[in-house]
Amino acid sequence: MAEMHDPHEEVLLAPIERTGRGFYFAVACLSALILWGAIAYSVQFTQGLGVTGLHQPVGWGFYVTNFVFFIGISHAGTLISAILRLSKAEWRRPITRMAEVITCMVIFIGAGQILVDLGRPDRMMNVLRYGRYQSPLLWDATSISAYLTASLTYLYLPMIPDIAILRDRLAKRKLLYNVLALGWTGTEFQQKVLNRAIAVMAVLVIPIAVSVHSVVSFVFSMTLQPSWHSTIFGPYFVVGAIFSGIAGLIVTMIIFRRAYKLHYYLKPIHFRYLGQLLLIMALLWFYFTFAEYLTGYYGAEPEEMKIFWSKFTGPFWPFFWAMVLCNFVVPLVCLARLKAHTIGKVLIASLAIIVGMWLERFIIVVPTLSFPRLPFPEGVYWPTWVEWGETAGSFGLFALFYLLFTKFFPIISIWEIREGRESSVKEVEERIISYLPGDAEEKA
Amino acid sequence: MENLPQVSQRLVRGLQWVWVGCAFLLVGGIIAWIIHLIIASWRLDDVIQASVGISIVAIPIFLVFMGVILYVFWGVALHGRKRED
Repeated sequence: MAEMHDPHEEVLLAPIERTGRGFYFAVACLSALILWGAIAYSVQFTQGLGVTGLHQPVGWGFYVTNFVFFIGISHAGTLISAILRLSKAEWRRPITRMAEVITCMVIFIGAGQILVDLGRPDRMMNVLRYGRYQSPLLWDATSISAYLTASLTYLYLPMIPDIAILRDRLAKRKLLYNVLALGWTGTEFQQKVLNRAIAVMAVLVIPIAVSVHSVVSFVFSMTLQPSWHSTIFGPYFVVGAIFSGIAGLIVTMIIFRRAYKLHYYLKPIHFRYLGQLLLIMALLWFYFTFAEYLTGYYGAEPEEMKIFWSKFTGPFWPFFWAMVLCNFVVPLVCLARLKAHTIGKVLIASLAIIVGMWLERFIIVVPTLSFPRLPFPEGVYWPTWVEWGETAGSFGLFALFYLLFTKFFPIISIWEIREGRESSVKEVEERIISYLPGDAEEKA
Repeated sequence: MENLPQVSQRLVRGLQWVWVGCAFLLVGGIIAWIIHLIIASWRLDDVIQASVGISIVAIPIFLVFMGVILYVFWGVALHGRKRED
């Protein structure tokens, strides 16, 4: 167990064994962002939500946008990891850990946005003490709790054999790795138990992940607000979440591939396959968006049309058309030619999608509130430096958590790569032979 | 872990129980919270059907998580180690 099977595996342990100047530089930059966020939050905490751009009628702005965005990004990990694992897609092996870590880290950040949005965080206790299940907000709290628990379990279980490798190989953090490895020695019985548990979690986590973003959408669609009260919001949000999740995963893979020299493991083919998934999701996203707006336009309800035109030609037009550009035009231009996917093109598409999907959340949340149907005047929402700081701090915190994770645990699953090498080639060959036409006896 | 001194082995085993205990605390805490909301809605004469309906789906899911955690702890840390010995 202590021996490295492949000399290339050294590169997977290098970030844990050694720390370079790049790490400290990254931590310094991220700490600056987090400090901005902390100062912004402390100003808000002491002076109240009045220091933000939130007011009547726009009571939801950046914070709720960030909440929906971060919960969306979390779909990267679990869905991609679980679906690729269950469909026995062998190319998933170097990707799954990165995806699972994104999910776990980002759920904390997403849920934290609601605490910030409350203004007085002690009011969270009212949800715990007096929550009512008639409210979609409680459905949200429950489904996100389930998702967080599932994701943490689904991240930890496949890490056990790798933690055992760290326990046996490294001189530092012996106690931590000994505890977390649970006495793993790689026996057949232990392997069977772990595989069974991972399979159960992979099956369970998919409907939970789908339910989470559906329930997040219900917070909007269960209201009677124009442009929110839509029956396709559930699948629309899920598609958007998977879309942004894949983009987030690709950007993370490219950054760490370069930073930790993981070229041997993260090959162009991985980005090509993820690029293809991204293209499919871009087309799906466009279909849902088109259906959503066509339905609203055709119905021509006056309240609905006020918001419709505010997005298409009114005050929100830059954000709306930037969203379309980033989520559809740029990905299509970069990814339409399947044979011409390069890492650069996939990166450009992914960065555009991350920006575009944030804009999509903003375009969903703010315009509807800006045109109230009560006798309030129409409102213009201008985020202040506090909200920008909190947003920057949130991104910084996620990136820092992720970076710190890579200093403690391998970001690519070592045992799954070994398993792929040792047994998967033969398994895939047998599987393909079983698909081919012919009698069962012949093939046997 | 075989190379660790006796005291450290006991410490590691104890911390492993604490680690699994924390997982149970998290899951158990969420289940207790859901039950608390059902009781609160019954006491306040609120619509209890919503709470019961959602908990019928949510609580079994959390129980499955507990089961998986317990199964892995038993299979890897307890039974797996005994079989190897």
